[in-house]
Amino acid sequence: MDTTRRGFLGAIGQVTIGAAASVAGAGQSASAAEGEHVPHWGMVVDLRKCIGCQACTVACIMENAVPEDAFRTHVSVYELVKDGKDPAMVMLPRLCNHCDDPPCLPVCPVEATFKAENGEVLVDASKCVGCAYCVQACPYDARFINHETQVADKCTFCFHRTQAGLLPACVETCVGGARNFGDLNDPESEVSKMLRDNEVSVLRPEMHTNPNVYYIGLDDVLDGRVAGEAAYHPEMAASVQHHGEGL
Amino acid sequence: MEIQVHELVGAVHDAAWQPWAVQYFFLIAISVTALLMALPAFVFGKTTDLRAARLALMVAVTTGITAPIALLADLHQPFRFWEFFVYTHKSSWMAWGAWIVPSYVGLLLLFAWSIHRPEFHRMGQDDWRFAWLFRLFSLGGASNGFTRPLGMLAGIAALGILTYTGSEVMVVRARPLWNTPFLPLQFAATGFVGALGVMLVLERSLCRDGTLEATLNHRLALALAVVGGLGIAWFAVALSGISPVHSEALASVAGFPVWKEIALWGAASVAIPFVLALALPRNTGLITGLIAIHAAWMFRWTVFMGGQAVPKVGSGLYDALMPTGITGLMGVIGTFGLWVFLMIVYTTFVPWTDATPPAHSQPHPAPARS
Repeated sequence: MDTTRRGFLGAIGQVTIGAAASVAGAGQSASAAEGEHVPHWGMVVDLRKCIGCQACTVACIMENAVPEDAFRTHVSVYELVKDGKDPAMVMLPRLCNHCDDPPCLPVCPVEATFKAENGEVLVDASKCVGCAYCVQACPYDARFINHETQVADKCTFCFHRTQAGLLPACVETCVGGARNFGDLNDPESEVSKMLRDNEVSVLRPEMHTNPNVYYIGLDDVLDGRVAGEAAYHPEMAASVQHHGEGL
Repeated sequence: MEIQVHELVGAVHDAAWQPWAVQYFFLIAISVTALLMALPAFVFGKTTDLRAARLALMVAVTTGITAPIALLADLHQPFRFWEFFVYTHKSSWMAWGAWIVPSYVGLLLLFAWSIHRPEFHRMGQDDWRFAWLFRLFSLGGASNGFTRPLGMLAGIAALGILTYTGSEVMVVRARPLWNTPFLPLQFAATGFVGALGVMLVLERSLCRDGTLEATLNHRLALALAVVGGLGIAWFAVALSGISPVHSEALASVAGFPVWKEIALWGAASVAIPFVLALALPRNTGLITGLIAIHAAWMFRWTVFMGGQAVPKVGSGLYDALMPTGITGLMGVIGTFGLWVFLMIVYTTFVPWTDATPPAHSQPHPAPARS
């Protein structure tokens, strides 16, 4: 499957037709479904191409009505100084890793979190009790409690878009082509080729979650908890208000 | 290679478990440990310990009712609580907890009721304004031969609570501070500290018996010694490097001055009442009790709110450790307020000073009132 819109649409069309046919004829032949190709969605983020424009962040918010105080995806930006040399700006898009062994899944007390057929880790919002156990269990800080819906919320790989044959909004809008999305089960897909042709990393490999989001060009110091000076200083919040422009 | 990292743009994550969760874990630990301290007298007939057991039972019941309400308040969809029982996910400790908590509270209340049933019945026979209420409480009888099995079942459920609350938090690998095998033991040990603290404060308020105060202070010293020992062992294991999860837990907070202050404060909260309780077991119960309550509460606040202040992937600390605003404060005040209300109700309507074990488990009769 191709990461480009045309290739993606073509492939998803075949899958959708196949799925519809198998649903329609489910009672007739189980063996027909066995040979059917089931995509396994994944993302390859080429950090060499990310410019930190946050277009993906904004697109995701607009597409998924993410509330103001949360993100389903965003781009962390770091300044790295190695051996006192000139600082380098490094971008790191973050999102749910749609792990094959997601720690958020077994902890859910009511089975609201589940792994979809194509590998997406999803939340059944009608079932979620908002206990936030999954938020605690996610090693990527990729989940949050949506304060408007009061249930667990996260990236869905834009499930509603992929079902309609579209790319996830963050991929669609990525200016530099850093975000690549496709079928990891298809050896001819662009993402599969990228995984073959490049050295890739995942975030927090020590957690053994088998993520489906891969990074090209990820510095080791950024693949886990980043030990550095934080951008956010909570004690500053009040003082900022006090030092406004005096309106 | 020396690398300096400055986060320029990063997301901040709110604490998903709010102060109500702290209150729940605090109150339920006090309840179950208090119940376990009440069992020797009321189930096994150790009547020499009856005065302490009466206090323990009162603490167990009042905190045992308050705790689940705090838990429900922390749920973002409280009206969907029934789903815990319809869609039980066996791999989730929280799902098991959903069954254990009501079992525990139900058995605890039945146990307490059965202990007091003869007195309820007697009060229902007297000619006074609320006699009808006590006739209702006693369900028309005075027998309580089922107290011992109820107590044993409640004790098993209490152990279930200690197991599930500890495991539920311990299994979260994503939070190094929680993911240590010491945590369930620390929850249990600090639970005893908190329960003895509440019992000491109540003893000073309701009984003022120097002998009982000294007994409770000695037990508090023992519980604090266990907590201190566990704390020292935790640091030793983390520093030695023999357990990667402990080393990671320490490393996740070691670089922050606020955590050094927390560690010192916590150590003082254990050491000061320990010394006082041992050196001056009489007339210090109020202060040792209050500090013990503080120590047990602070441990949970630090674990839960402090643990959520440590980013999983970002840099620095989030502000969950000291959340501002009225919401979090109301969670703490509201649950304590409910507990105080239940204490007033309990001491008003329950003849707790006359609580005695069922007849066949009383090898050594003791005076009814202290």
